[in-house]
Amino acid sequence: MARYIKLYFTCIKRSIITRLEYKRDTFISIFNFFLTNVASILSIWMIMESIPSLNGWTMAEMGFLYGFSMLPVALDHIFTDDLWTVAYFKVRNGDLDRMFTKPVPVLFQVIAETFQLEGLGELIVGIVMLSVCGSMVSVTWTFGAVFVLIIATLFGALMITSFKIIFASLAFKFKRSGQLLQVAYNFISYTRYPIKIYPAVIRGLLTFVFPFALIISYPVEIFLFETYSPYLIAGVIVAASCALFALSIAIWTFLERRYESTGS
Amino acid sequence: MIQIQNLTKVFKKPIRKEGVLGMLKTLFSTKYEEIVAVNDINLDIADGEIVGYIGSNGAGKSTTIKMMCGILTPSSGKVLIDGVEPYRYRRKVASKIGVVFGQKTQLWWDIPLIESFKVLKEIYQISDADYRERMDFLCDTLGIRDFLNQAVRTLSLGQRMRADLAAAWLHNPSILFLDEPTIGLDVLVKQRIREAIKAMNAKYNTTVILTTHDMQDIEDLCSRIVLIEKGVIIYDGPLAEIKHRFGDLRTLTVNPKVEYVVDELNTFGGKLTYLQQESNLLLKFNAEELSMEHVIDYVFHTLKTADLKVSEITIEDVVRNILEEQEA
Repeated sequence: MARYIKLYFTCIKRSIITRLEYKRDTFISIFNFFLTNVASILSIWMIMESIPSLNGWTMAEMGFLYGFSMLPVALDHIFTDDLWTVAYFKVRNGDLDRMFTKPVPVLFQVIAETFQLEGLGELIVGIVMLSVCGSMVSVTWTFGAVFVLIIATLFGALMITSFKIIFASLAFKFKRSGQLLQVAYNFISYTRYPIKIYPAVIRGLLTFVFPFALIISYPVEIFLFETYSPYLIAGVIVAASCALFALSIAIWTFLERRYESTGS
Repeated sequence: MIQIQNLTKVFKKPIRKEGVLGMLKTLFSTKYEEIVAVNDINLDIADGEIVGYIGSNGAGKSTTIKMMCGILTPSSGKVLIDGVEPYRYRRKVASKIGVVFGQKTQLWWDIPLIESFKVLKEIYQISDADYRERMDFLCDTLGIRDFLNQAVRTLSLGQRMRADLAAAWLHNPSILFLDEPTIGLDVLVKQRIREAIKAMNAKYNTTVILTTHDMQDIEDLCSRIVLIEKGVIIYDGPLAEIKHRFGDLRTLTVNPKVEYVVDELNTFGGKLTYLQQESNLLLKFNAEELSMEHVIDYVFHTLKTADLKVSEITIEDVVRNILEEQEA
């Protein structure tokens, strides 16, 4: 274990050195991420402008929800961004060859490959949104609510990562699974609106199949409306994300052996 | 100690039809064709051997190597590295092997070379003392000291290949797989790489499995060669035996300045064959049976050639000869 922690830091150091080699590219990426988020927030704001309230939610409450959803997304973004390249290119191009010949699990090497600096900015924007919008609405910062926030952020990131691992590992079977991963990942953006506005099918999908509502929608309702017991929700989040993580590792390990490399 | 038993690898590929419409049909087709890349091969390689694993393009060399180092899982049969299957117990075997793929770098593209080595030091858990000692040895034998602080992407192909070799050797593997380590390199760099391989083999008794298309690599390094064609091993034995069997074959490429008819040229009693290739004339003969001097004398004085090139036997020639011999 200690060995892997040390190795992880060595790899992260390497990744940051890489990013600093291309300063302008890093700057553009950070700016790009910033614009993307501003655009999403603006589009929510425009919708809210044209209607008095969305199923009883005000703009500030919507902003709180948005900020909340950014935290697990940002955390996952920082630590596991290279899973995207596995899904899109690395399996197809045979770029994983070198990882397969090293005495360290391939998945560990993939995760340690990048430390995504942009994600840090995302995390900060999320925290700012959360505190600014939180002060505008009557949020109850009880101990239970804060506990759920921390659990939802940490284990929510684990849940998102698990989905990324599952869909990225499909690349071992199909050579490319980036589009599939994108579809699964996009379900997260549904949770940026109150879950009650969706028909039962989508609600079911977001609760049981791609359970991102568990890590975003329900915890936020605890803050805003004190609807659920925080400890019950925290327990469900931990159980669901740990189960999904175990499943994702099993799927990856199973499919990894189908890696075919390339012809040369 | 490497043991290969009845090793087979079959790739399944969907049968594709051409064009856009054909591609659409492929989407819904369940028909697959099976490509047998490696077909039931058996091989034992002892510690400290340098084996040349050769064959034409697409013969199955890389596929075998990838199974030996645990990247690919065989369709049937097995590979044992010191008694362990590498694709099943990857991590256990990985610290014993080093791999260089001439076509792809194992190094991190954007960072200085020395940083790549530092990451490898952690991955393989190399002690500080071993790391220093091996870095000194590798810097001297491969001459990489000058560009240790350069980003890998700025290295020339020759520099990069030497760096890759050093990276594969850093953890002192007992087996080294080199897949075309001299591809696209100039003569001097090739020479340096061969000398380094010899030095490392002598110092650490490293087993080396080498694939190459360069006959000189094989002559300089390999005591034993394994020839593979269409996934099947067609020869396994010492290089000297092949040379003995087919003789010291040479090809002269000349450009005659006089009109000639191939059938009327001097064949020195059937010891020399002619082949026309565009404006050039190729003369193939065995230098042990027919003296080079006589042939050169003939092409200069009778054929009035303006140009002359002598080439030794190529791997393709060896493969062709063995296949012809087996058919006969």
